[in-house]
Amino acid sequence: MKIGKVAMDPATATASKSKLINEKGLFWRLTDRTSESRGKVLIYSSAILMIVAVTAITLFLTIQGLRSFVVDHLNFWTFITGTQWYPDRAQNPSFGAFPFIFGSMAVTFLAALIATPIAIGTAIFMAELAKKWGTKVMQPIIEILVGIPSVVYGLIGLSLIVPFMRVHFGGSGFNLLAGAIVVGIMILPTVASIAADSIRAVPDSLRQASYAIGATKWQTIWRVVIPAAGSSLVTAIVLGMSRAFGEALAVQMVIGNVVTLPKSIFDPSATLTTIITLSMGHTTTGSILNDALWSLGFILLLISYVFIVIIRFLSRRRNA
Amino acid sequence: MNSKVTNRIALSLIILCAAVMAGILATLLGYILVKGVSSISWHFLTTSSSPFLAGGGIKDQLWNSFYVLIITMLLTVPIGVSGGIYLAEYAKPGRLTSFIRTCVEVLASLPSIVVGMFGMLVFVNYFGFKFSVFSGALALTVFNLPVIVRVTEDGFNSLSRHQKEGGLALGLTHWHTIKTILLPAAFPSILTGIILSAGRVFGESAALLFTAGLSTPDLDFGNWNPAAPNSPLNLFRSAETLSVHIWAVNTGGIMPDVQTIANGSAAVLVICVLLFNLFARALGKVINQKLSGR
Amino acid sequence: MIQMEKNIVSFSNNTVTKDLPVQINAEDVNIYYGDNHAVKHVNLPIHEKSITALIGPSGCGKSTFIRTINRMNDLIPAARCEGTISYKDVNILNPKVDVVQLRKEIGMVFQQPNPFPKSISENIQLPLRFAGVRNKKTLKEVTEDCLQQVGLWDEVKDRLDRSATSLSGGQQQRLCIARALALKPDVILLDEPTSALDPVSSAKIEELLLQLKNDYTIVIVTHNMQQAARIADYTAFFYQGELIEFGKTRTLFTNPEKKSTSDYISGRFG
Repeated sequence: MKIGKVAMDPATATASKSKLINEKGLFWRLTDRTSESRGKVLIYSSAILMIVAVTAITLFLTIQGLRSFVVDHLNFWTFITGTQWYPDRAQNPSFGAFPFIFGSMAVTFLAALIATPIAIGTAIFMAELAKKWGTKVMQPIIEILVGIPSVVYGLIGLSLIVPFMRVHFGGSGFNLLAGAIVVGIMILPTVASIAADSIRAVPDSLRQASYAIGATKWQTIWRVVIPAAGSSLVTAIVLGMSRAFGEALAVQMVIGNVVTLPKSIFDPSATLTTIITLSMGHTTTGSILNDALWSLGFILLLISYVFIVIIRFLSRRRNA
Repeated sequence: MNSKVTNRIALSLIILCAAVMAGILATLLGYILVKGVSSISWHFLTTSSSPFLAGGGIKDQLWNSFYVLIITMLLTVPIGVSGGIYLAEYAKPGRLTSFIRTCVEVLASLPSIVVGMFGMLVFVNYFGFKFSVFSGALALTVFNLPVIVRVTEDGFNSLSRHQKEGGLALGLTHWHTIKTILLPAAFPSILTGIILSAGRVFGESAALLFTAGLSTPDLDFGNWNPAAPNSPLNLFRSAETLSVHIWAVNTGGIMPDVQTIANGSAAVLVICVLLFNLFARALGKVINQKLSGR
Repeated sequence: MIQMEKNIVSFSNNTVTKDLPVQINAEDVNIYYGDNHAVKHVNLPIHEKSITALIGPSGCGKSTFIRTINRMNDLIPAARCEGTISYKDVNILNPKVDVVQLRKEIGMVFQQPNPFPKSISENIQLPLRFAGVRNKKTLKEVTEDCLQQVGLWDEVKDRLDRSATSLSGGQQQRLCIARALALKPDVILLDEPTSALDPVSSAKIEELLLQLKNDYTIVIVTHNMQQAARIADYTAFFYQGELIEFGKTRTLFTNPEKKSTSDYISGRFG
């Protein structure tokens, strides 16, 4: 509350040294245990720490990521469009990161393609068709699955999907599709649970209005519920995609880790995260390869920011 | 086409989707638990891992996972809860608040490997903590902080305004109202959120790869002096956790029983996460019943 | 309407004959919520050791006004306040005022009973602990004393460590009053304290207030005119943010000066 125009006689105010007027100094405020200020110091420093963390991550990764262009004089354009990644070649080493960028994109979109129908279908099932069963049984199980560590998904991929690929599509079985399936399954519970929430948020009055004009259940879902939940559903999918994009170890375990551009989804390939995971430990700080890996990390950070901006945009449009 | 027929087909497809989902989930849990539990034995849990011989266990990795988790929670909970209180109670609508909110959102959506790289750059190299429990815990703190902040903020926002007014009207300072009335009232939901986030931290691997390291010194479980290099309590020794171990044996393991070790470790990991989950749910229920005064 | 007439006749005999000194004096108070001028140029004296009732239709600014007396409106960022409310030679609205100390001297009870989800005795001892009372014996004595004053002691003395939320609504509200008494305030503000309660509990609270006014200055917001008529010494009628009329309760109800006052008390609107 702001107080203006205090029509108080200054003489009386100072004359009455009432306890009501707070004229305690900074020292007293920080040492008294019932004081407000001590709590505030704690609370505000935590809030500031959050800003520091984000700024530090962005700054450090940007500075480190730009080294390969500034210090090692790699060309940014050839770096992101080049398809030749031969950092170890003694003569004329080449740093073309396009296969990894492509790999990351391919895994992300394929994973979304696999996960979206199943997740949205499940969400509709939970929130529209079998509400009781959905909230009592499916929802808790899905929430537990959200918490299953990604390496476990990787392990499952390694022991079930890779052998399956080997038998049915030849080759080693490690390929782009296997990576996409693993991440697709990994993001399923996340997407399904957010999607179910947004479908539940659609007011019942809309459904009743639709049934009242003789629509079937499916028509109600397709024409009324899904459009009403629209941008929340898209947000759920984009959130899933951003998780898929950032996933490292699970993908790395099944994708084959080949630095060339894949010709089909049954070829082994690599992503930004997998190449970083694999090579980071074997490089020395300050080498060109090390700097190049940091640049890949920087690209990863940039694309993550793009996802964040998209999600913000979507949720802002929903609120508006 | 007849709308009734379309209705039938569409609804069947939806049920099919749900069935596929259920099938996938059942396969997943079934595979891990069936294959994995058969590999778990007392010997497996209490033996150190062996780099190339069969019959290694996961004693050190299991310990490391819990140790890193505890240190992470010690760092995250006070900061995260304070941050959540700031957003729920002190933040005035404005640029700074929306910037802090954006920061929380960004932290929550960064890929964990990016957090790991940052940890390597800053904690491992710049501050010179090396690959260690402490570096790992700091990286996981960055990763877990936004979760705790959100949980706390939601917990505070769901409290009724009347409690707060009651405290303030009695001449309590805002901070004391928060400390003695609001925080205890929001505690159950915050605690549930903390335990759930513990499950996430427990299974995290990518952020630890570059911060806690891929190896563990020969731990001497008789030596509890935190300064000793082989003490389990040493904060500044490298520490391979269970989830990193699963990845490591699968990508570079040369022991003959890789599959058994991986399955067993995965089962232990999943069981721990399940326990965290069930514990959080049960606890939430119990405290809720107690608070409602019955 | 006949009901109303009957009630108006049944004034309590506690009504003061002689004016007691003014303890809180509001002069030209204006309160805004953003652009909304919620309370307009209000001048209102509050006499000590008597009950002042604020009545009026909902949204008339009476709650906003009472919440300003112990600065509870500080919680609302958009609220802004001008004018003077003097209490002990200090303008309460002065930003330098230590609101914590102010609220210890001017307590408040709300519409919704809001006991803390702690034990019954802790509910009363909590504010005392903050005021620096550490002695266990004193704490116990004050707890008993406060519960006695609100007539709750006999009902709860065997279960002081049970959760306060297990009490009935009326008991909870009396506990909240007891809690406000623990700090020995000068003034107690009550914001529609009985509107969430059943008639029996409400009657108990009214009876309690009549006793308490021997030691405390009481300001009560109510939308129940009979209640004001039954217990208040002074009544202020608020309408659309303005103080329309203020005076001795009997005078205001039997012989209102303004037409809108008589319209309201005879039930023609609101």
